[in-house]
Amino acid sequence: MMRRRGFLQQITVGGGVLAAGMLPYGLARLLAPPVKADPHTHLRPPGALEGDAAFVDACIGCGLCAEVCPPRCIRFYGREGGDRVNTPYIDPEVKACILCNKCMEVCPTEALTERPRDEIDMGIAQIDRAACYPWVDRGICGACVSICPLGDRAISFEMWNQYRPIVKQACVGCGLCVEVCPEPSLPIRVVERSQGTVVQHSI
Amino acid sequence: MTEPIKRPFLFRRHLNKLRWLSLGLVFAMLVVLPFLSVYQTYVAAHAYDLLPPSDKKLYDIMETLSSPFVDDPATDLDAIKGTTWSGTFFGYKISDPLAVVGQTAAGLTVYWPFVLSALVPVLLTLALGRFFCGWICPATFLYELNTNLAAWLRKAGFRLGHLHFDRRLKYLVLALGVVLSAVTGSVLVAAIYPPAIIGREIYYAVALGGFGAGAVFFVMTLLFDLLVAQRGFCRYLCPGGALYSLLGRYRPLRIRRVVEDCNDCVKCNAVCEFGLDPMRDDFGQECNNCSACIAVCPTDALVFTIHIKDLPDQGAGHLGRHYRKVHEAEALRQETG
Repeated sequence: MMRRRGFLQQITVGGGVLAAGMLPYGLARLLAPPVKADPHTHLRPPGALEGDAAFVDACIGCGLCAEVCPPRCIRFYGREGGDRVNTPYIDPEVKACILCNKCMEVCPTEALTERPRDEIDMGIAQIDRAACYPWVDRGICGACVSICPLGDRAISFEMWNQYRPIVKQACVGCGLCVEVCPEPSLPIRVVERSQGTVVQHSI
Repeated sequence: MTEPIKRPFLFRRHLNKLRWLSLGLVFAMLVVLPFLSVYQTYVAAHAYDLLPPSDKKLYDIMETLSSPFVDDPATDLDAIKGTTWSGTFFGYKISDPLAVVGQTAAGLTVYWPFVLSALVPVLLTLALGRFFCGWICPATFLYELNTNLAAWLRKAGFRLGHLHFDRRLKYLVLALGVVLSAVTGSVLVAAIYPPAIIGREIYYAVALGGFGAGAVFFVMTLLFDLLVAQRGFCRYLCPGGALYSLLGRYRPLRIRRVVEDCNDCVKCNAVCEFGLDPMRDDFGQECNNCSACIAVCPTDALVFTIHIKDLPDQGAGHLGRHYRKVHEAEALRQETG
């Protein structure tokens, strides 16, 4: 009888201690409600590990990448990020990456690994030819082509129309074209490489 | 009017002030670095004319402060970056050991360049014990101010919580944090580790225009310390403190009580932030060598020594009433008998 009571007491105390140990994580979880982040327009900084799970594994949330970023384009997921909380992202519509490599140099973990500028893969720019001004003959522009840090290897004009932009495979997805695009609906955006460089409209 | 007691200058008695200087410097650095980062952005963009008036003022101030030291602010001011969680210091990367443990658990792989960035902190902790908690941690700066606030509130008549829990709880928090990091695959310990939160949140507040989720958690820990258990988060829950305690268990540099000089006044126990028992020689692995007890000791009976273990309980202090009573009775008995 006594042994059973002692066992029950031990179980209760153990459970209580475990609950108290869980308290900080419970609090952190409670204070960070799982709201889905919108990864649609969010890019990881250049040199990020492939696959978002691998990146979240490696990132310790120190914020160094943002601190050294000259255009200050790197922002952080807050409570809306769920498990991605405190990990960095770039929203090229607000401020785009200039491919200066500083964040890769400063990252203490392998989350952002140093690589040459041409081998960065943040995605690829995709153009909606039904909205872009020159493509719908609503004027001349060329903002995206003139800002591109990789030059005409990544984006250039169409052969027969001097102002219709065409994205090429050398594009690394830095998003500067998205930042400068004057059309309010942003016909140019950065997407995953597999999705291609032209928006496919279904009829 | 009594004359103040004249005592010789003892350096160790003033270490506590030095410690506050260190804590203040680290905290000030965490505030200044984000401003430097913002300023560097302006420099890199060459867009002074486009700045709003408030930002122009910030630019001017930072330029005045930094121009004697650097020629090219956009790159030269990168020498010191980051927080105590992880930072670069003149080209050397230094990370918190807890960051390494958490990240290794989350990724289930060992990335040696990152592990080596925690080498210096680990070696220092092996030698000096949990000194990070007392001398560097930016959260300690706020927690100790919080302790002072609690003292004032008590003086004003408020009844604040004074609960005691098991100190070993924080090892459970550390173990759970590592396990949960491994299970979820994201570095969970970073979300509840106050120094990491402080560094991050100051940067968010200055450079990104607002506090994040961590600030709420940190305020909760402040309230916990104030209302439930004095300095409770550091004593019972902090996973980083647990890791540092484990590393510093056999630290060579420790505080020792000189029993011949001790008068049992218990001031050391009262002032100890971690609720230890210096008066009975019980420092243990939790002691962070903060030297607050040395500073408060009226008879200078506490000193730093080189030894890997605490002395066993030495009994009552020789200047104390208890020891003298026993001792005098003994002497009397020998005289008469």
